[in-house]
Amino acid sequence: MEEGELLIRNGVVYDPINGVKGEKKDICIRDGKVVEEVKNPKIIDAEGRVVMPGGVDIHSHIAGAKVNAGRLFRPEDGRKGVKARTKVCRPESGYSVPNTFATGYRYARMGYTFVMEAAMPPLAARHTHEEMVDIPILDNAALPLIDNNWMTMDYVKSGDTDLLAAYIAWMIKATKGYGVKVVNPGGTEAWAWAKNCDLNDAVPYFDVTPAEIVKNLAVANEKFEMPHSIHVHGNMLGHPGNYGVTTSTYDLVKGIKPYRDRPAMHATHTQFHAYGGTRWGDFESKADVIADYINKNENVSIDLGSIILGDTTTMTADGPMEYSLYQITGRKWTNHDVELETGSGITPFLYSGKSPVNTIQWAIGQELALLVKDPWKLALTTDHPNAGPFIGYPIIISMLMSKRRRDESAEDMHKVIFDRAEYSSIDREYDLNEIAIITRGMAAKTLGLHEHGKGHLGVGADGDVAIYDILPEERDAGKIQKAFLNTKYTIKGGEIVVKDGEVVATPAGKTYFVTPECDEKLTDEMMVTLKDRFEHYYSVNFNNYPVQDAYVPNPYEIKAPWRS
Amino acid sequence: MQTIKLKIKEEVTSGAAKIPVEVDPLTPDKLAGKTEAEIKAVKVWWGNKEENTGDLFDVSVEGEAGSAEEVKIVLEGDLSRVKHIGDGMKAGEIEAQGDVDMHCGAMMQGGRVTVKGNADCWAGREMRGGELIIEGDAGANLCAMYRGEMTGMTGGKVIVGGNADECAAQYMAGGEILIKGNTNILAGLNMSGGKIVIEGDAVMPCADMTGGEMMVKGSKVRDIIPSFRLVGTESIDGVEYKKYIGDLAMTEKKAKGVLYVK
Repeated sequence: MEEGELLIRNGVVYDPINGVKGEKKDICIRDGKVVEEVKNPKIIDAEGRVVMPGGVDIHSHIAGAKVNAGRLFRPEDGRKGVKARTKVCRPESGYSVPNTFATGYRYARMGYTFVMEAAMPPLAARHTHEEMVDIPILDNAALPLIDNNWMTMDYVKSGDTDLLAAYIAWMIKATKGYGVKVVNPGGTEAWAWAKNCDLNDAVPYFDVTPAEIVKNLAVANEKFEMPHSIHVHGNMLGHPGNYGVTTSTYDLVKGIKPYRDRPAMHATHTQFHAYGGTRWGDFESKADVIADYINKNENVSIDLGSIILGDTTTMTADGPMEYSLYQITGRKWTNHDVELETGSGITPFLYSGKSPVNTIQWAIGQELALLVKDPWKLALTTDHPNAGPFIGYPIIISMLMSKRRRDESAEDMHKVIFDRAEYSSIDREYDLNEIAIITRGMAAKTLGLHEHGKGHLGVGADGDVAIYDILPEERDAGKIQKAFLNTKYTIKGGEIVVKDGEVVATPAGKTYFVTPECDEKLTDEMMVTLKDRFEHYYSVNFNNYPVQDAYVPNPYEIKAPWRS
Repeated sequence: MQTIKLKIKEEVTSGAAKIPVEVDPLTPDKLAGKTEAEIKAVKVWWGNKEENTGDLFDVSVEGEAGSAEEVKIVLEGDLSRVKHIGDGMKAGEIEAQGDVDMHCGAMMQGGRVTVKGNADCWAGREMRGGELIIEGDAGANLCAMYRGEMTGMTGGKVIVGGNADECAAQYMAGGEILIKGNTNILAGLNMSGGKIVIEGDAVMPCADMTGGEMMVKGSKVRDIIPSFRLVGTESIDGVEYKKYIGDLAMTEKKAKGVLYVK
């Protein structure tokens, strides 16, 4: 047997990026990469089983300051999911805010091999990277929060998108980040003034609107060959009647030409942004309006942010939203202000099938997936842990694949599900190819990672494979859910990391980061202002700010050259 | 009836470090039907190592039992580092002949635990049923919730012969507690149900209370929370008490707690 060779034989392969829709096919891996053929490999017999590329999660909160604050803040969550260490694994604990080990093992057991940490406060970038290094198995990346930043708003005000581009380039490099994250643009800064911002409200002091911030960041982002678009958590998240704000936000990037074949905006956890009504009393689903927009336009991709019923810990850079959530529940909450950059809030939340509002939220997350015709436009997420922990993905998969399961579950929910959502009238059922798209293909493509070996099984791709113990024609929702929760095998870089649902090896993952290469003259000009800002306002010295190479021990650099 | 005597070996707690032993596997329902040899082989944690019960305790078994109800466990020796006595027990009886460490009677569902001395913090934590009798003093967080949880004791009966330290019965939602001595600050904090009687004095009782009842029979109640409203007097067993409703800080609608003070 050749060292480093693996053959996955006779599996039914779903590799949507390469157009493989359930074909019986062998996958050959040598030295961690997919190859044409192998000579004398270790053989895995996948006869009658479903084979997919390793899963790619486009949006999840798994590492960093607020995730860790969530752990400290919820000792009671740490009582759940406790699993003793084994010869291979370190101990697991936690459900909605699992420890770093549990995060890696649980994702790997579901067949995922890449996860995007969706919100990294730049000032806490070191902490985020330290935690990502501590998460076993998974490859990862993080999106720095750049939208509520004072420098950003100053450049938006002056309308100088070239200097704004120079600034975001510096910020992404300094934080070893992957792209531009936008969270309640302007609103998080306004929260420091005890206010919030709608899309066209002026941000206090800075006198720019959230719409201008989003538009300018999208323009600046496309000045580089960035793998990912701007990643937007819009204004008025979680407010009844916010769907109009949502579509208006989407409209902002119309006419902005993306660098490559992806939309100019990724709008995240769309479930929270598809609300009708005027208050909680007449709250209703507007998933149909949002889906209709997505179906008719090419400027936006989305992820779901589907609800998982049960207790969770909400955490976001959207401080004012967390405060309004606290006002509903009366449970403990915490807010944090990150100097010139951003803020955050955390509060626990229980999604209950007995609550009319939660029931409609539950319906919206799935309606979006069922009403958007082209699965390449959406990714499966739960905005972990905001709409529910990632460990609930198999529940959503089984719902999307089985109308019967949806009907059965609707019976147990609050009866509003039948009159304020389209949920029960939708007959569509996802097939495994579509599931493969929303759990890997779309995310890899939207993040530009398919060009770097993620999310597909073509020759040259990373040897990341998930083998699920179900027949391709299986329609039993319970069996589907079980299979997607624990793989038969998960293979990461050609190494078997999960076998029969048990983690058997814990290699370290890589950290992907982007290096935007900005015009030097622009950078120099921006630097004068930046250094002044550091001198006058930051608690951190300019020279101590950027994340050193040592914080990213397994780096994977993607260069993004200047375009114009 | 069956009596299982477990005498802790002197060398277990004689070291300078006094490594704690966690005995939650040693409850009548878990030991019922086991022979002496089998009991000796039950694994318990001693610090970070799992040991045989027989290596840490002298074990003797007398009599026969048809069910857990007929089993009485007697713990002897220096129990000051023995934690989780009767944790999660469902039936039968445990008697601890001395001071015990934390989490005694935690998560109890039934049966009876008697402590002949003092109990350290978290005794009766999240108790759901059964009876816990502490003849000496109780440490902090008696019958409280686990850190971060919003439900503490929900059922059962607790009697403390001496005093109870801070935050007794935090987030209590049901059951009964009788404390014969005094309580330290914040007894009945976040309480939403159940009944507490304190025969001695109390400091700042019942903050954030939304339900349930507390009666303080001692003559001194320091720092009554200002957000409690005096609604009148009531005569109980021939004694006149002032009746307060609170905690109004939790809003008028939620302030359903009752506090009787002499």
